[in-house]
Amino acid sequence: MKTSISTAALLCAIAGMAHAEKTLTISVYSFAQDAYKEALYDPFEELCGCTLVVETGNSVERMAKIEANAADPVIDMAVLSTQDALGLAQKGLIAPIDPATLTNFDKLYASAQDPIGGHMAVGYTYYASSIVYRSDLVTIESWGDLLGEAVKGRVALPNITGTQGPLTLMMLDKAAGGTGEDLSGTISAIGAKADDIVTFYSRSSELTQLMSQEEVIAAPIGRFAWGHFKQSDLPFAWAEPKEGQAGGMNVMVMTKDNGNEELALQFMDYWLSTEVQTRVAEALIDSPANKEVTVSDEVAENLTYGADLINALNIMPAQTVIDNREAWVEQWNADVIR
Amino acid sequence: MFMNKKEGLILALPAALFATLLFLLPVMILLSEAFRIDGSWSLQGYVDFFAKPLNQVVFLRTLKLGVLVAGTAAVIGYAAAFCIVNLPAKSRGRVFGLVVLPLMISPVARTYAWIVILGRTGIVNDVILGLGLSDTPVRLLFTETAVFLGLLQLFLPLMIISLVSAMENIPRDVIPAARVLGASWLQVFFRVILPLTKEGLVVGGTLVFTGALTAYITPAILGGSKVLMLETLLYQRVNVANDFVSASVIAMILMVMSFSANLVLKRIASARS
Amino acid sequence: MQMRSLSTWLILGLTLTFLIGPFIIIIFAGASAGNSLAFPPDGLSLKWYLKVFTVESFRASFLLSMFLAVVGTLFALALGVPAAYALNRYKLPGDELIRTIVAAPIIVPGIIVGLALLRYLVVPLNFTVGMALFFAHTALILPYAVRVVSSSLNNLRSDMEEAAVLLGCTRVQAFFKVVLPNIRGGVLAAFILGFVTSFNQVPVSLFLSGPGVRTLPIDMLSYMEITYDPSVAALSALLAFMSVAIVFTAERLLGFSRYV
Repeated sequence: MKTSISTAALLCAIAGMAHAEKTLTISVYSFAQDAYKEALYDPFEELCGCTLVVETGNSVERMAKIEANAADPVIDMAVLSTQDALGLAQKGLIAPIDPATLTNFDKLYASAQDPIGGHMAVGYTYYASSIVYRSDLVTIESWGDLLGEAVKGRVALPNITGTQGPLTLMMLDKAAGGTGEDLSGTISAIGAKADDIVTFYSRSSELTQLMSQEEVIAAPIGRFAWGHFKQSDLPFAWAEPKEGQAGGMNVMVMTKDNGNEELALQFMDYWLSTEVQTRVAEALIDSPANKEVTVSDEVAENLTYGADLINALNIMPAQTVIDNREAWVEQWNADVIR
Repeated sequence: MFMNKKEGLILALPAALFATLLFLLPVMILLSEAFRIDGSWSLQGYVDFFAKPLNQVVFLRTLKLGVLVAGTAAVIGYAAAFCIVNLPAKSRGRVFGLVVLPLMISPVARTYAWIVILGRTGIVNDVILGLGLSDTPVRLLFTETAVFLGLLQLFLPLMIISLVSAMENIPRDVIPAARVLGASWLQVFFRVILPLTKEGLVVGGTLVFTGALTAYITPAILGGSKVLMLETLLYQRVNVANDFVSASVIAMILMVMSFSANLVLKRIASARS
Repeated sequence: MQMRSLSTWLILGLTLTFLIGPFIIIIFAGASAGNSLAFPPDGLSLKWYLKVFTVESFRASFLLSMFLAVVGTLFALALGVPAAYALNRYKLPGDELIRTIVAAPIIVPGIIVGLALLRYLVVPLNFTVGMALFFAHTALILPYAVRVVSSSLNNLRSDMEEAAVLLGCTRVQAFFKVVLPNIRGGVLAAFILGFVTSFNQVPVSLFLSGPGVRTLPIDMLSYMEITYDPSVAALSALLAFMSVAIVFTAERLLGFSRYV
């Protein structure tokens, strides 16, 4: 499961490992690694004169690895969802990040500065989540429309196991007059209409196909997937529901007692810098959490970008997810997918 | 037959050791995992697994689809195999080649096509609407029907191949003789063809049934989370929840189902002789 | 008789449409000028067929799958041919057990194999994912190798080797000079069967993938996680043509189907 950055590995091999090379091991999501290498990893290696070891995998796998090696951390730094980060924090596996050590800290949006409390994590990217729909076939004005007559039998919802699932439930609950905290009623409501829902998807790429063949005409997605829809010749629209858009954030954490804190902090600071955040945004990989980043309208269209949008996002507290996830999945399995 | 045992063992042992150490052992450990909860031996993993309604549904669905696919494949397989063995030799080879062809094609590709075929705007719905069987397009994707069709297409060739080779062994004059003596086609099938091809049916049936149980791509793409089967459930339990106990239970169920099918094969085949 | 042949062709026509139809659709869907998978395609173009060759990860995973299929099958044959020979020609103690062990991989569902190797070879013993993949694919082909080679050994009378030994060959020489040339067709059939099985294998490789180590079918699936554009259809069609070409050539040269 290891990839070392090839050029660095090569240099290492040439040097014959003669002198102790500084190494930083990071654990990240596996998508867009080529783009990250160009925008972030390679420039950082040049800057620090060190070697980056990048481990990838799904979050369950990566969390398990951090937990298994708690006594002698292999991973120095990881990027995770807020709830996964909080989960690690509660198990005492990660160390607080002193804002004073990050020169770019003040440039971050307020909600990214201390998203899970205790300065245990720093947000590096946001994503909005709303409903994409075929504007030639239907109009979506509220999250509640997802369970309405107009899209009956032609709507897809995200599966509860992904990050989009709980967000959709929260917004459906708000649309039904709830506070978005107790989701059991919403899950039952979806269960009652399960036959009218085409699928509970886990990959948004699947939706592009389903929506172009009119199998599905409305579905909640993350903004990061919007690009695929926009490229299409078909009339896809991004809803601005009256309850607002949902959203989430991914964060960086540092493992406890990894002995490599200085380098880890330097890397995080670099990732949060206006320079890197702009490059990453322009490559359409991640939306910036650094408010000084400016991008063209065309790039912004594919991202979750701008203070107005970010400050208005309905973000689900990580604690809520952690406390309820198991019960949600249990009820979902019993009521919805049966 | 050579008698030098040592020489024979030296030849056979590398394969046996390889399969044991790098294959059987890890699989055995995985299967034992569900019996070792918190360090002691217990059946709690199985009790917990079957207590969940979703797991029961998935288990029964997998069994049902497996039997349905194998049964349907047998019916179509007999018709097709009968036609094939009665073709003139030259076209027989060609048709047989076409039956084998899909086995050479990646299951990813074969499953993928069904998304287009079964879609709202796909060919099947065009036909249904054209014939006036329904006023609105029928939803087929993410239903058991879709998974059933996908699996049937995937494994039907195995059934046809087994039945063709079984039928080739039926003496040429038996069927016309039975007809001349006044047997109806139904009688010919049940009294003559079926007993003489039982072995082929059992081989084909086992292959198709086991194949349908353990296919991943087809239920994953055509069924998704609405039509979970044991194989997709296993993948989900591991990847979403790191739940190796459920994975081990499902693994055992799949193994037991495959083995049972295999046992049934041997039982029936030996009952014949 | 006219009715008979009409119904014969009707049954075969329907069955073959069901079996081959999806494949035809894939060929055309891959030749679409549009951006999504559709049949009939929105205009014809070869752009997706050409795009396949420009996707870097497809190249890497194609090579890995090729390696696994070719070298894995050769390795399985290196293990399987002697085992099949020993099981056929020697009275072995515990031969039933050995037979069962080498045939076991065919009965164990692939997804379990992949998970077991990941969990008990890769994680605790530091095997690389690539090695685990190689072992899994080899184990999977082993039963075919043993079975197909056994059946051609069955058709070869052992007095030939005995004669060769009597005439002064060592047993090893007898094997290479007398036995191997005679079971060549069976070995080749086992190779092709193993190759196709390994190349199209999905469940075994599901859990056995890491960055840069992905078999082609798994890579196609993960490509589909990003986009459903018709290039996967185009690639599928190309691969199918490749498999068919290999089998067709083997059939022409050696009458491969006699051995399956």
